[in-house]
Parts: sequence; C-alpha cells; structure tokens
Amino acid sequence: MQSQVMVEVRDLAKTFKGKNGDDIQAVKGVQLDIRRGEIYSLLGPNGAGKTTTISMISGLLAPTRGDARIGGHSITREPLQAKQLLGVVPQEIALYPTLSARQNLDFFGKMYGLTGTELSRRVDEIVDFIDLRERQNDRIETFSGGMKRRVNIGVGLLHKPQLIYMDEPTVGIDPQNRRRVLDTVQRLQQEMGMTVLYTSHLMEEVQEISDRIAIIDHGEIIAEGTLGELIQQIGEEDRLTFKVGTQSVPDALLAQFKQEVEGVTSAVYERHDVTNGESETLAQVDGIVTIMAKRGRKALPDLLRIADDAELDVLSVEVREPDLEGVFLHLTGRALRD
Amino acid sequence: MRKIIDIAINDLRIVFRERGIWINLLVIPIILSVVIGLANGAGASSDTASTGPSILIDVIDEDSSPLSGQFLDELRAANANFVLCPLDNNNGDVCQLGGNTFDAAQAETRLREQTSLALLELPAGFSAALESGTNVSIVYRSNEEATAPSYILQAVQATVQRFGASIVAGRVGGQVVADLPGTALGDAERAQLVADIRQRAQTILNDQPSVVNAVIGTPQEAATANDGGFNQSVPGIATMYVMFAIFPAAVALMTERKQGTLQRLVTLPLTRAQILGGKMLARFLLGMLQYAIVFVFGYFLGVRYGSDPVALGLTMVLFALCITALTLALSTLLKNENQAGAITLLLTLTLAPLGGAWWPLEVVPDWMRTIGHISPVAWAMDSYSSLIFHGGGLADVLPYLGVLAALTIVFFLFGVIRFRIE
Repeated sequence: MQSQVMVEVRDLAKTFKGKNGDDIQAVKGVQLDIRRGEIYSLLGPNGAGKTTTISMISGLLAPTRGDARIGGHSITREPLQAKQLLGVVPQEIALYPTLSARQNLDFFGKMYGLTGTELSRRVDEIVDFIDLRERQNDRIETFSGGMKRRVNIGVGLLHKPQLIYMDEPTVGIDPQNRRRVLDTVQRLQQEMGMTVLYTSHLMEEVQEISDRIAIIDHGEIIAEGTLGELIQQIGEEDRLTFKVGTQSVPDALLAQFKQEVEGVTSAVYERHDVTNGESETLAQVDGIVTIMAKRGRKALPDLLRIADDAELDVLSVEVREPDLEGVFLHLTGRALRD
Repeated sequence: MRKIIDIAINDLRIVFRERGIWINLLVIPIILSVVIGLANGAGASSDTASTGPSILIDVIDEDSSPLSGQFLDELRAANANFVLCPLDNNNGDVCQLGGNTFDAAQAETRLREQTSLALLELPAGFSAALESGTNVSIVYRSNEEATAPSYILQAVQATVQRFGASIVAGRVGGQVVADLPGTALGDAERAQLVADIRQRAQTILNDQPSVVNAVIGTPQEAATANDGGFNQSVPGIATMYVMFAIFPAAVALMTERKQGTLQRLVTLPLTRAQILGGKMLARFLLGMLQYAIVFVFGYFLGVRYGSDPVALGLTMVLFALCITALTLALSTLLKNENQAGAITLLLTLTLAPLGGAWWPLEVVPDWMRTIGHISPVAWAMDSYSSLIFHGGGLADVLPYLGVLAALTIVFFLFGVIRFRIE
C-alpha cells in the first residue's frame, strides 16, 4: 500500500562556509511531511533558508545533515529514483532561449528518459496543456514573460511526476498570466492528483491555493498548518496599514504605538521603491506602516492621534481581518517581500 | 551514454544557432591559414609552381668537364621535372635569373628565399679525381634536415651511386684489357678472364664503395623550413582555432549556470558525470569538426599530412581532448561570463604563438622553444611537424602524444574534482 506521505524531511541541515571561514547555518534541522495530493506552500522572507531547503529536497544541494525522501526514495542515497518522481519548476526561466519551445521540451523529455513516440506524444500533450500549440516552433527568446513561464512549467510536467516543486512561478508576469498559472497549479492537483510544493512571496495566492502552509525563518520551520490553524496561532489579530508616502517613520514612533495603544502587538515600517520598468529609475516611494492589533478598529483613533502628534501625515488607512500576511508578520516580524 | 549524447547534441544545436558560428569555424581560420601560409613562404612555392611542374636545382659546376656534364645528365634523367639552373634556363626564365647568373653566395640566397629547392656544387678537379681513382665530394644543400631526405636528395644519392658504379666498372674493364696477353682466347682462358674481372671489380668495390660522396648540408645561415608555408600554417591555425572552438565552453557553462539550465539539469534524473560528459563531448566534437574543416581545406592547398593517418588522428583527438579538459579546469576558476571570455581569449592568443601555431618553433631561440612547450600547442605542433615535414610515424610522435595525454588527465582530474554546478 502506498504511503500517504509524499515527502518526508528529517533533520535536514545545511552549513556553508562564510567569507571569513565561519560556519553559516542556513538550515537548522528542518522536519516536515508533505501528504500525497496536497498543495503545500513554504513561505519565508529572503535569507530564511527556504531556497536552501528546497535545493536540498530537489537534489541540487547535498545536505550537511539529515535526509529527504521523495516517494520513499532518499535524495542522498537513491537520487535518480527520487528525481524521477520529481518535477521542478525553478523561479528562473531555465530554458534554452535560442531553441524553440518544442526543442526545449524534447530535450528535457529525453533527460527524463522519454523516447520515440512516447516523447512525441507527451510533448504534444504538454504543448496543449500550456496552450502554446501555435507558437511551439518559435524560439523561447521571442516569447512574452508569461509564455516563457508556461513552458518553464511544462518542462517540469513532461514525465508526469508525482511531486512537482514550483518556485515562485508567478514572478514577473501580468495578472492574466498569473491567473492562468494558478489555475494550472490547481488543475495539476485536482485532475492529475499531483502533490505540489509551492513557494511564493504573494500571500494572497498562497492563501488561495494551499492546503497547508509552512513558515520558515532563520533556517527553521516556525509554524505549519492550514490557514485557519495558523490564524488561530496568532490570536486572530487585525492588520492595520497606514500609507505614508515618502515620509520616514522613526523606530521611536513605532515603539510608541505598541506602548500607548491597547491591543497593539507589533508595528513595522516598510519602504517600497517603485521603479520605472527596464530603466530602473526610481519613480515612486511608498512608505507603509503595518500594525497588528487585537480589535484593530477600536485602536485606530488612538493610533491616528499619535501619528498626528508626531507630524506623520497618514495618506490612507486600511483595516484587514486576520489573514496569512498578518500571520507571517506576527511570526517573523518582517514582511515577506523583505 | 544515450543521455550524454543527447546533451552533446543539444549543446551543438545551441552552438550552431549562434550568429557568426560559420564565420568563426570556416571563414576566418581558412583566411588565416592562407595569409599566414603565404607569410611563411608558401608564396615562393606558388611562384615556382606557376611556371610549371619545374623543380629548380641550382648547380655550381666548377669543373665544367665532360664527366661533370655526364653526372648532371644522369641527375636530369632521374626526374623529368628537374631543372638544373642556370644550365637549363629557357626563354621563359624558368630559373628566375632575370638574365643573370649566380655565384655561390647568390645561390645560397636563392636557396634561403626558396627560389630554388636545392643547391649542388661540383668542385674543380671533379673529373681528374675520378679518373685517378681518388675520392671526390660534391656538396648538396637544401633547407631540409638531413634526417628527412626529400625526393631531390634521394635522386642525387641514386645518381651518385649509379655514376660511381659506372666509373668503377670502367676502371675495372680498362685494367682487365690492359692486362690481356693476346687477342685469341680459348674457353679456359675466357673463363679465367671473366673470373679475373669479377675478382678485380669486387676488390675495387670493396676498397672504394663510393668514388663520389654527397655532402649534405643546409644553407650557411639560419635555416628555415623550406616546406613551411601552408604545411606550417594549416596545422597551426587549425590548432589555434580548435582552442577558439572549445574554450567558449567555459563561457557557456557560466551562461547556463546564470540562466538556471545547469541547475535544472541537476534536478533531473541524471548523474553529474552524464551532465559534464555531455557538455564536454559537445565541445570536443566541435574541436574535431574545426580540425576537419581546416585540414580538408589544407589538402586542397597542397598540404599532405604524412603517411600515418592513425598518428595524425591521435594527435588531433588528444589535442582536442586536452583543450576540452583544460576548459573544464578553467571553468572552475572563473567567476563570470565576462571573465571567462577575456581569459580564454588571452589564453588562446598566448598559447598559440608560444606553441608554434603561428610560426615554426625552429626559428625561435632555444630558451623560447623551451618555454613554448608549456603550451599544449607545442606538443601537438611537434607531432604535426614530425608527420608532415619528416615523414614520421606513430612511433616518432608517441612522446608528444604521451605529454598531451598526461596533460589531459591532469586538467580533467582538476576540473572534475573542483567543478560545482550549484
């Protein structure tokens, strides 16, 4: 009888040598189980150990300690068998730009061991699945970002893997293509019964598609469960967002929010620089103060008064019920985009 | 193995989609082979060839006797294309004398400039020495090494032997006739006479196996390979462009790492050896294709690659393997595509001339020749030189092939141990 667990990660750790020769522990003994047929999302801010963990699970990095098993096969001792069950969709468009979509699919299909008519049939199926039949013989370099993403996903599906790992598959594409990618992920689970390991920095999409979510920070899993279970862990706090434009917010003011207003558990200032397309010139600065508070609507007048006293001009206010972003902020003290 | 071949085919497909690939593989190496070949002296050969199939041999006959004339007639008879200058010069100035003649010094110059292919000096007293039965030396010079005789030298040596034998026979006959007591001979006396002639000829041949010696030499000043030209430039430029074909693998590996395809390959059910093997096989095959293109073109320029195709093939294969392994080793030391591009270009343009790809190492000072052998190019060029210029075979080039094989192993081990895909 097939085990209900598709991925078992036990005590997985990775230590790198720093520039000064110091040991840097990127991952500190991660443990997790991913069940067959579920969409499991791994969230973590940059540098949290998310990429290193995934790299070890997918065989790209050798663990310093511990092991991961895919479909019962150890990634360290039986890597070829484990990888045969795994499809990887990396964040980069890992395709050969001067080859056509079909040539890319043909090549990677061969690498998965497909040959002859089986290969040809699978490539045809994938071309249809990613809706690129018309453009299959065009070079990848002539494709839009969304089309490239779809081919990138298609490569990972060629051999009908039992587990597919998707690393930020919606980065850099327009909302229409993003919607198409999310639908694809859900079809993989629902129509093909695949297990999906998903990472993204967009909370709303993780919240939408995931069966279970793990949050990793400082190389450790700090929370794991369904969305409801995670929200319960933080006590169902509201999230208040103040947009402050180009104004900077001193740490002292953030501390004052926490100390003087009842129910406030955290206050964080983030600055988002918006750049102009490819020229990357600074177009706009969006300063945002995010405050977690029990009974947020009740705390709002006091918070605005303190801001006014500190001559902080709050341009807009948003109050949101508990969500994944709030959970993440509460647990890591950082926004996911950091 | 199937996956290694598939990776190699995919990489070659990508390479052949690059803009200008055929200019780099075909046009530039061929043009350079011609230009450098002409600069190395192929022009002189072409000029000679343009006047017909004449093979110019300068002759300084200081004896000017009937016997020396007879010797030269024998030499003409050895090869219908031999033109003995200035004796055989014609209205079309086949000897390229411009209405003049030449002395010994000018003949040396003509030889160095490859106007003539050989110089033969018959000394004064040549005839008298032969008639008196004493040894006489003629001088033969060419730009070749004495250990690698050409068809001209072989013809001269054959003429010397035939001419010497006839002189010996004449002397024997003369002596026998002089000793005859009468004209009427009985059977017994006739038999005795035949035996006597045989005995005397044998004695003379034993005592003086050669009455004319060929003294083989090169021009008095620094010699240049008279078979230089395309024979030097074709293997030289081919070898340099094999590096140009293979070294970019270092850049390609960086590009693949940057675009994520190398990492993607690692996540597929492939071993590291299959990935590296496929990548390296592609570049090795590209290097061999480069060799084939330039060598085939060289054949039409008149270059002949010796008589041992196995030795030639092994030299090509081992050099291409050596550069492939060096590329793998280099890629472990380089940080990015720009650095890889700059370093491999610098390396190619250093190793090629240092190793004798642009000019023969025979023309550089000894210390430079020693330093040059740091470059794998030098060992390959030594092998080609042995095969093309000196008629060498596998046994002659084994030491060079051994060094190339050893370098290949060292570079390969260094590369495999240090290479990181992540």
